Order: sequence, then C-alpha cells, then structure tokens
Amino acid sequence: MTPANRMDDESHRPSLRLVAGGVTPARREEEALVAAFLVGDDDAFGELVRRNEVMVLAIVRRYAQTPEDAKDLAQRVFLRAFEAARRSLRKGPRAAVPFRRWLVRVAVNLAKNHRRDGLRIVRAPLEELDRSGGVSTAPAAPDVLVLRERERRMREAVLLLPRRQREVLTLRIDAELPFAEIASSLAITENAAKVSFHHATRALRAALAGEDRP
Amino acid sequence: MTACQDFDVLISLRAAGALDPEESARLEAHLSTCAACRAEAEADAAVLRLAKLPAPTDAERQATSGIVKGALAELHRREGRASSWKRTTAAFAAAAAILVAVLAPAVLGRRPAVPPEDASAVTAAAAWQEPDLDTLWSDAGLLDDDATSSADTAVDAALVAVDL
Ligand SMILES: [Zn+2]
Repeated sequence: MTPANRMDDESHRPSLRLVAGGVTPARREEEALVAAFLVGDDDAFGELVRRNEVMVLAIVRRYAQTPEDAKDLAQRVFLRAFEAARRSLRKGPRAAVPFRRWLVRVAVNLAKNHRRDGLRIVRAPLEELDRSGGVSTAPAAPDVLVLRERERRMREAVLLLPRRQREVLTLRIDAELPFAEIASSLAITENAAKVSFHHATRALRAALAGEDRP
Repeated sequence: MTACQDFDVLISLRAAGALDPEESARLEAHLSTCAACRAEAEADAAVLRLAKLPAPTDAERQATSGIVKGALAELHRREGRASSWKRTTAAFAAAAAILVAVLAPAVLGRRPAVPPEDASAVTAAAAWQEPDLDTLWSDAGLLDDDATSSADTAVDAALVAVDL
C-alpha cells in the first residue's frame, strides 16, 4: 500500500473514530509539548510522560518479569520514543510523526526484544500477584488452579503468535486502543488490523484446543 | 467449528468489544438465527478472557509509579554524557520555537484547550502532512526488529548506543 492510500484512508475515517489520524486539539498540544521538550523543557517531558504512561505500561507489562522490570521498560520506551521523534523532526516539521504513534510502535518492539533477549524460558509475568490484589494464603481450589494454568498457557501462546497478530492483539486487549489507532501505529489499514486480530483469536483457540487434548 | 464466513471477523471483533452499532446490529440479527456462529462467538470470547492479563493490583501500581522522575533522571544522565544530545539543526530549532511560542503557554499553563480558530495553529496544522511511516520507522531501526538484530542499521546502532 502506498502512503497516498494511507492518507486517503485516514481522511475518510469518521471523526468519532479518529484518534491518531487527524490534527485534533489534543494532537496540537502533543506537538507543542514535544517541541518544548526538544528545546530543553523538562516540564513538557514530564507532561508527555504523564499523559501516556498508563498506555505504555499496559503495553510492556505483558513482557515484563516484575513490576520493576515493567517500569524500567516503560522508561526506556519513553526515552527511545523521544529520540525517534527528535530524529524525525530533524528532517523538518513535515517528517514529524505524532509522538503517541512513536510510543506505541517503540513500546511493542522494545518490549518484545526485551523478552526475546532476556528470557529463554517463557515464564508467566506478574504470576505472584494475586488477582484480587491481596496476598493469597488459602490454598486455591483445584478448578482455580486449572484456570490459572490455562491462563499461563494462553500468555505463552500470545507471545508465540506471528508478529503482526501479536502486536494487534496486545494493543487491543492490553492497551485497549481503538483499531483505528492500532492501524495507524502499525502503518497498516484498519481492516488489516481487524483481520489480524481475528487470526490471532483463532490461533489462540487452536493453541488452547491442542493443549487440552490428552 | 466454522462460522459463516461473512461473519467470522465480526465475531472476533464482538468479543473484543470493537463493533460499531451498525455492525453489531447486523451480527446480532445473524446470531439469533445461527447456532454455529453463536458457538463461535462464545469460543472467541472465552479465549480472549483467558488471554487478557489481570488488571494491575495496587502493589503493581505502586511499584510502577514514578516513571516521570526515573525517565527524567536517565535523560539528564545521558545529556551529561552526550553533550550533543540537544544539538539541533537551525531549521528544526526555528520550527520548534514557533510551535512553542504559539502553543506551549496554553499547554503548560492552566492548559486551556487550544482554540481551534487560532490562526497560527490552523496554519501549522494545514502544513502538516502525513509522512511515509514505513520510511521513518525503518530509518529509526524500529521496523524489522523481529527479523533482524536490533543493531542492524546505522541509525539503530546509534539509538542502541544512547540506550546503554
Ligand atoms: Zn452463522
């Protein structure tokens, strides 16, 4: 697909679903903050991080071993995204990519590489943190253990998905991004993102069915 | 096991809560008459429930707070080491200065929304053009991280150096 088609796609997207494509007031604010940061304004940096940290953490935590690991990853994502934004802006304002799009793209890549480089044995992240938020002392019922085991296998299966499927799936179920934003962040069409999501869902079902078989 | 093909993508999107009202109405009408697709819908929903991570606990939220502070500290550390970090081209500095002058006070002050009528902002917005994302991504070495080593391109090697 050509860039021209992509622009065309975005310009015809209904405004209600327009999250990352057009120039909204929020987007202009973001551009101003990035510009201010790039000339040395730490407050602008802080504001950009605060606006996006929940999203970035939501993306990286699937790949992190511990909450501290997730925090470290998120910090690296921001620094690297700022660096990428700076490089793109050097080519002039016309080369500027919305900062949030850099963030999403950097987050999924950096987190996955972190996982790949630092971990050969797939271990479920955040496993020790009880779902209810407290420290669980009572032994779990057998059906709860079965459920946890299925969840653990599912997390493994997510990490083994083909790259595009994994990116689309996790940006949807972890970061809860609209498909329009997922598509623009990954430079694919919204329809391609939706089809990838469907394929990911099917692949996970197949993985689950395969593992449940005796 | 197989859903009616016209609906299989919509069924997955339904499980993700991503249907618009028109799609939803169309799918629900079909589901009310098709047991096979109802089974598909349930299977998709079930697998996504399993795949979804638990919400962060208070303990996790606590452990991941303070990103701004940590990132700023790291940024300053890097700036101290690489003094060229903020060196910018004259063209970029000028463009940035204009944007800051026009927009930053509104954002960094009490943060009122930038008025859409703001002539300068509208001009800036009109001048903005979607770049070729794939070119930019690959320039930054972010496009093919799965297929290649993350240090494959010269630009990315530079990024990695900054990352140390
Ligand atoms: Zn059907």
